[in-house]
Amino acid sequence: MKKVLLACAFLSTMAMLQLNAGEQFAMSDADRAMYKEMLENNPAEIYVEEGGEIFEETLGGEEALAKFLGVSEKDLPKYIAGFPRYIKKLGNVVGLDQVMQAMQVEQGKEKTKLKSGKMFSMLAYVKSLANDELINIDVEADEHIKASYALGKTTYMTARGGRGLACNSCHSADIVGQVLRTQPLPDLGEVAVAGTWPAYRMTKSSLRTPQRRFQGCMKNALLKVIPIGSKEMIALEVYVATLAKAKNKKIAIPGLKR
Amino acid sequence: MAEARKSMIKFKPKKFKVGDTIKVDFIVIHPMDTGLKKDKKTGEVKPAHFIDSITFSLDGKPFTTMKVWETVSTNPYFSVNLKVPGKGKITVDYTDNTGEKNSKSKKLKPKG
Amino acid sequence: MKRRNFLKGICAVSAVAVTAPSALLAKEAPKGENALTYDAAVSAITGGKAVADSDKVKLTVPEIAENGAVVPVKVHVESPMTDAEHVKAIHVLSTKNGNARCADVMLTPLNGKGYFATRVKLGGTQDVVALVEMSDGSFLRAAKPVKVTIGGCG
Repeated sequence: MKKVLLACAFLSTMAMLQLNAGEQFAMSDADRAMYKEMLENNPAEIYVEEGGEIFEETLGGEEALAKFLGVSEKDLPKYIAGFPRYIKKLGNVVGLDQVMQAMQVEQGKEKTKLKSGKMFSMLAYVKSLANDELINIDVEADEHIKASYALGKTTYMTARGGRGLACNSCHSADIVGQVLRTQPLPDLGEVAVAGTWPAYRMTKSSLRTPQRRFQGCMKNALLKVIPIGSKEMIALEVYVATLAKAKNKKIAIPGLKR
Repeated sequence: MAEARKSMIKFKPKKFKVGDTIKVDFIVIHPMDTGLKKDKKTGEVKPAHFIDSITFSLDGKPFTTMKVWETVSTNPYFSVNLKVPGKGKITVDYTDNTGEKNSKSKKLKPKG
Repeated sequence: MKRRNFLKGICAVSAVAVTAPSALLAKEAPKGENALTYDAAVSAITGGKAVADSDKVKLTVPEIAENGAVVPVKVHVESPMTDAEHVKAIHVLSTKNGNARCADVMLTPLNGKGYFATRVKLGGTQDVVALVEMSDGSFLRAAKPVKVTIGGCG
């Protein structure tokens, strides 16, 4: 414990000095406008377009998706904005990527791995069909989504790993805004994680999904990484979606992040 | 030849008339490797691999040319203006330092 | 205090540093025409001709770059863009990258505006410079500092 503290004494001091100095690192309005403009030329759009082509050509596009989910094409965007959902056919609360895998199985096609560029692009495309819709996840809809929400909340609040940290340790209402490693800690509802991921990450120069972002954060916090598509990961997405819903956030894919 | 590079041409605004000055944006997926970084997996230095020249043409006639270096961001974006003279086809031809040539086109369709 | 201990813990944990493209600030002498330092690059472009700082060149960059690998740069030069009077070229440079050059953009009257935008890599806090060549052979310039922050979790 002592060695580690010594090793980053400088960092700790810096962090403590910035305990209430969120403003000093807050973006100026001019800078914020510049970064907002970058959204209009987001490299991720190319991946989204590509995902759309694969989705159309190999799965049958929106028509097939709507049919699989049992909704009209007209209602599809709103329906997509309510994911993750309990899908009776699959017997589980699932994400859109898992729905597409199920469609592949139904069509006798090879399953695309959840953790693959191809699936990330398709996921981004399908989610973008719901752009401008309010996030409308309903965690009271059935017992399955209720249970998923409860699991998600628990996962979010459970301190674990070598440092005894939980998602809530950095993202709770009273910690949010404080500066850690030059970045103010974000309110996951306010920044609409559920509405703006998948996103292009500048630090990774690629399209990243929300689950992968959660994994990156877990790695940094020395928490054992939860697998993509697992019950707990889906549950986390469910919980985080309610945070954005509470702030009336909309879907806006692809996002653009640091 | 490697599979075609992915890119996009966008006009802003989307609807315009003859005589309007619009933005022509070009985004392309390209590593723009500087030749200074190591591959995390292999430990080997990734060789410099970046777009070094771009030509924007209207119906085959160049109206903007660019010389580009590895200091431009990965998956770069280039934006210039165009005073719309009429209907036509915009083509962006680009080469990189390995000699790889690529091209992307988009129809210019002014209304009125 | 619970908070201070917690933050100390986080910092200890942040072993993975977000690396800035600092290799870009190579201090050793660059080689060849494709790796000129700022002064050499300006010389190569202007041939030693005088360069005037000008309000006509509007350079827009962020004050603080969220990430040094993707820094937006916008240049707009006031000009009628006629055959007789137009912007011939916009050169985007940085003052401290080992290779100071980012892009040379040769415009023509058909562009309608003396405008160019892109995103560049900055190896560290430094100035971004727009060096503009006008059709009459004169050179104008605008420069702005950009603070590059290294940090963040994940």
